[in-house]
Amino acid sequence: MLELNAMTVPVIYLSSFAILLAGFLTALSCKDLIRLLIALELMFGAVFMSLIPAFVIAASPAFGTSIITIFTSAGELLVLIAAIVIQDRRKKNVLIEHITIGGDRV
Amino acid sequence: MVLLSGFAGVLVLSSLGVLLSKDNFYSALFMTLTLVMVASVYTLFDIQSVFVLIVFVFVGAIGIVTVALAATYRAMPERQFSWVWCIPVAITAAVLCHFISAAGYGIPGRVAFSLSGFIKTSEYQLLVVFLTSLVILLFLSVIRLYRGEES
Repeated sequence: MLELNAMTVPVIYLSSFAILLAGFLTALSCKDLIRLLIALELMFGAVFMSLIPAFVIAASPAFGTSIITIFTSAGELLVLIAAIVIQDRRKKNVLIEHITIGGDRV
Repeated sequence: MVLLSGFAGVLVLSSLGVLLSKDNFYSALFMTLTLVMVASVYTLFDIQSVFVLIVFVFVGAIGIVTVALAATYRAMPERQFSWVWCIPVAITAAVLCHFISAAGYGIPGRVAFSLSGFIKTSEYQLLVVFLTSLVILLFLSVIRLYRGEES
């Protein structure tokens, strides 16, 4: 079993931030909703990764936080998947440029 | 340490694969690989319960649905990467690096987590009950949203 120390913690945080930034860039430059969904899942993966050091300080609260994060993020992504299906039914495509926010068209 | 570095390397490369892949299907597969690697890092620190949660709930349910969606809506592959957006990402990376270097890594130690100790605590039982209610409410709202759209 590995120990969290000055060698392992930077590896965890750096890889977590690398995933987060890759997901961030994917979300910013995506052209369709499927890619956006993938980017969000990637960013949640980065959150899970950065939770590991919390297990050393307080294991049970960290596990509770992990459960909440995993289930709420899964719920959020489920809502996005339902929204993608509804978008496809209405617009017959899943492109970001066809999404309009409510209000008047200028 | 070598195993952790190997896992970290694979997950950074697979996250870059998500970013640079033209086809959404392959991006979804790379994303699944990244999440499985994240879960595998938990096993290196003897936290198998979170590995099970990530692999079964996140990858097993949502990840596979994403792969199925990406395979279904498999349009003409095109590169979805913009160099312009690298600027705000680079700024974010610089801010993160600054705060991480300022904070330091003063948390040495071994993970001592037991699932039996977690389940016995009444506060955490209440947390799990509330969370289950929240998830059921969320699922019901999704079903209602979908049915409303159908009618």
